[in-house]
Amino acid sequence: MQRPVSSLPLSQAVRLKLGSAGFQLTSDLQDFKPDKLSKETGLSEEEAVEVLKAVKGGGGGGSGDFSASLTALELLQKEEELRSIVTFSSQLDESLGGGIPVGKITEVCGVPGIGKTQLCLQLAVDVQVPQCFGGVEGQVMFIDTEGSFLLQRVTDIAAAAVRHCSLLAEDDEQRAATETFTVETVLSNIFLVRCHDHVELLAELHLLPDFLSQHPKIRLLVIDSVAFPFRLLFDELSQRTRLLNGVGQQLITMAINYNIAVVITNQMTTRIRDGQSHIVPALGECWGHAPTIRLLLQWEGSRRLATIFKSPCHMETMVQYQITPEGFRDADQSEMPQSKQPRMDTDQSAADPKETSS
Amino acid sequence: VQLKSVQDVVCASAPDLQRLTGLSNSDVQQLITAAAAACRRHPPITAQQLQHGVSGVRLGCPVLDRLLRGGLPVGGITELAGESGTGKTQVGLQLSLSVQYPAEHGGLGAGALYVCTEDSFPIKRLHQLIGEQVCLRSDVPADLVNSLRFSDHVYIEHAADLDSLQVCLTRRARLLLARGLVRLIVVDSVAALFRAEFQADDWLERNRRLLTFSSMLHHLSQEFSTPVLCINQVTDVFSQSHNSMGPSSSTVSPALGLAWANQVMVRLMMRRLQGMVIRGEQSSALRRLEVVFAPHLARDGQDTAVWTEGLRGVESWTSNRK
Repeated sequence: MQRPVSSLPLSQAVRLKLGSAGFQLTSDLQDFKPDKLSKETGLSEEEAVEVLKAVKGGGGGGSGDFSASLTALELLQKEEELRSIVTFSSQLDESLGGGIPVGKITEVCGVPGIGKTQLCLQLAVDVQVPQCFGGVEGQVMFIDTEGSFLLQRVTDIAAAAVRHCSLLAEDDEQRAATETFTVETVLSNIFLVRCHDHVELLAELHLLPDFLSQHPKIRLLVIDSVAFPFRLLFDELSQRTRLLNGVGQQLITMAINYNIAVVITNQMTTRIRDGQSHIVPALGECWGHAPTIRLLLQWEGSRRLATIFKSPCHMETMVQYQITPEGFRDADQSEMPQSKQPRMDTDQSAADPKETSS
Repeated sequence: VQLKSVQDVVCASAPDLQRLTGLSNSDVQQLITAAAAACRRHPPITAQQLQHGVSGVRLGCPVLDRLLRGGLPVGGITELAGESGTGKTQVGLQLSLSVQYPAEHGGLGAGALYVCTEDSFPIKRLHQLIGEQVCLRSDVPADLVNSLRFSDHVYIEHAADLDSLQVCLTRRARLLLARGLVRLIVVDSVAALFRAEFQADDWLERNRRLLTFSSMLHHLSQEFSTPVLCINQVTDVFSQSHNSMGPSSSTVSPALGLAWANQVMVRLMMRRLQGMVIRGEQSSALRRLEVVFAPHLARDGQDTAVWTEGLRGVESWTSNRK
C-alpha cells in the first residue's frame, strides 16, 4: 500500500531527513536495508530500522504491534466473540446489551456515595466468574487513587458472588468450577495499585502495557477515580487537558490491543450556565470524548438510578439499582437469594425506631 | 518544556521528548519506562496480599464500633457533620483517647493531633473523659488503662485561619507523624475556616484552597497510615431539588458543598433526636450517629447518648423516647 512518508508514525526530525533525501512515498523505501538507508539519509542505524518497521506497519516502541486492517465483518465477528462483564444488576446488563463491553472504555460518573466504587468492586469480582457460568474468567487490574479499595468490602462482594455461583451450579462442570471460584482465589486475581497523585497515575499507565503482556488473563482495568488526582491541576488547565488526552489515547489503545474492558470513574462538578448551577461530570468537555460509554449514577428521591447517557450502540435508558451488603444489585432483588441482613437502601426515614443495625 | 526530574519525563509526551532529547523513538520509550518505574511507589500487589485487620481506630463503644465496622479507616478523610451541640467534638475527644490503646484494643498505639479552628480546646472535658476511661473501656484490663498517660499524647493546636492551618499541617503534623507520636488527626472544624474567609463570588478560590487542604490531609493520611477526622457544620437545605447529592429528606446538609464532598471517603452525620435517655442519676439528650456514605459501610444509623464517660450507642429498648 502506498502512503506518503509524512504520514508514518515517526518523529519530525526523521521525517525531515527522509524528505530531504528524496523519499516521498513508502514504496520508495521498499527494498532498502537499514545500513543503506542510513547512509542515504543521514539517519542512525537504529532510526533506519524504525523507519522500515513503520513502513511494514509494525509500529514502534512500546505501543504494541498494529494488526493488519480488518474488514467491518471481521470486526463485527470479533466483537460478538468478546463477552461482556456482567454487573449483577440484570436490568443494567440488559440495557448495556450484556454488560460492560470488553475493548471499550466505560466511564461511570456520579456524586459521592452514589455507588461508583461499589460498581467497580462488583465488576472486579464479576470479571472472574467462570466461563461455564457465562462469565469472562479473567483477572483485573485495579488502580485506586482515592484509597477507597477496602478489603472488608471486596471480601463481602466476593463472598456473595461465590455463594451465588455455588447455588446456581447445576452440572458437573459448574460444580467443579465452584471448587476453584473461592473468596481467596478471587482476591488473588485482583491486582491493586494505589496512586497518590497524577504523576503516579501517569507512571502506572506507562508501565501498564508491559504488565498486561505479562498477565494476559487480565480482562478488566479499573481506575477509581481518574478525576481525583487530576482535579488538583487547576492552575495548568492546558497541561491537564493535554495529559488527559494522552490518558484517553493510552486507555483506548490498551483496551483494543489487550482485549480488556476499561472502566473509569469520574466525579461531578458544578457549572454555572445561564445563571443556573448544574451538576455535570468533571474533567471538562474534552474528556467527554474519551470514553465510548458514559454511565451516570444519580439519586431521584430515595432511589438510585443508572443512566446510559453516551453510547454509540445504546439508547439513553435509565434503570434503578441498589447497593446491598452483597454488592451492586437490581432494585427489586427478586432473582437473588434472599439475604438475612437488612437492606442498605430503604425508604424508611433515619429516625425510624424499627431500623436497627445488624 | 524543561526536563528537570523524572516527574517531568512521565508527564511529557513522547513527541516532545524526542524533540527535546533528539533520541530515537525506542530510546524515548526506554526513558519513559525508566522514569515511570522510578515514580512508582510499589509494584502491583494482589488483594489477597493486603493486610487484614489494620482497619483503623475504634470509638471504644462496641455498639457504635459495630456500626462503623471497626472504626475510622486509614488512608482517607472521615467527615463528621452535624448541627452544633450534637456531640461532634465529643467524638473527636473520644477518638483522641481510644487511638492511644494498643491495636488489640482498637487503637493504634500512638497519640492524636487535635486542631481547633473555632473555640478553644475543651480541656476540662478531656480530663473528665480521661478520668472515666476505666468505666467506658470495661473491655480493657484496668491496669492497662491506668498505665496510659492520655493527656501527654493529645497534641493540641489552634489554627484560626487557612494559612496557619496549612503551616500546622505541613510542619507540626508531619513532625509528629514521622516520629510516630501521633496516629490520628482531628480538625475541628473545617467549615469555620472556609466559610468565614471567602465571599460568595470567591468560590473558585475557595475551592482551590479546599482542594489543596484536603490533598495535604490525604497525603499525610496515606503516607503515615493515619486516620483523619474532619468535623464539619451543616447548612440548611431549602428544596429537595437542591439536594441531589443525597437521598435523605432532611433539612440540613454538610457544609462546603460538592467540592468538599468529593474529597471525603467516609461521611458520617450526627443528628439530635427528640427524647432523652435516663441511666440512673444521669440523663442525656438522644442523638443518632449515621453513616451517609462509605465504601465499606451500609447506610445505617445508631441511637447514641453522651455520658460523663463519653459517647455510647443506645440499644433501642433502653431509650425512653417521646
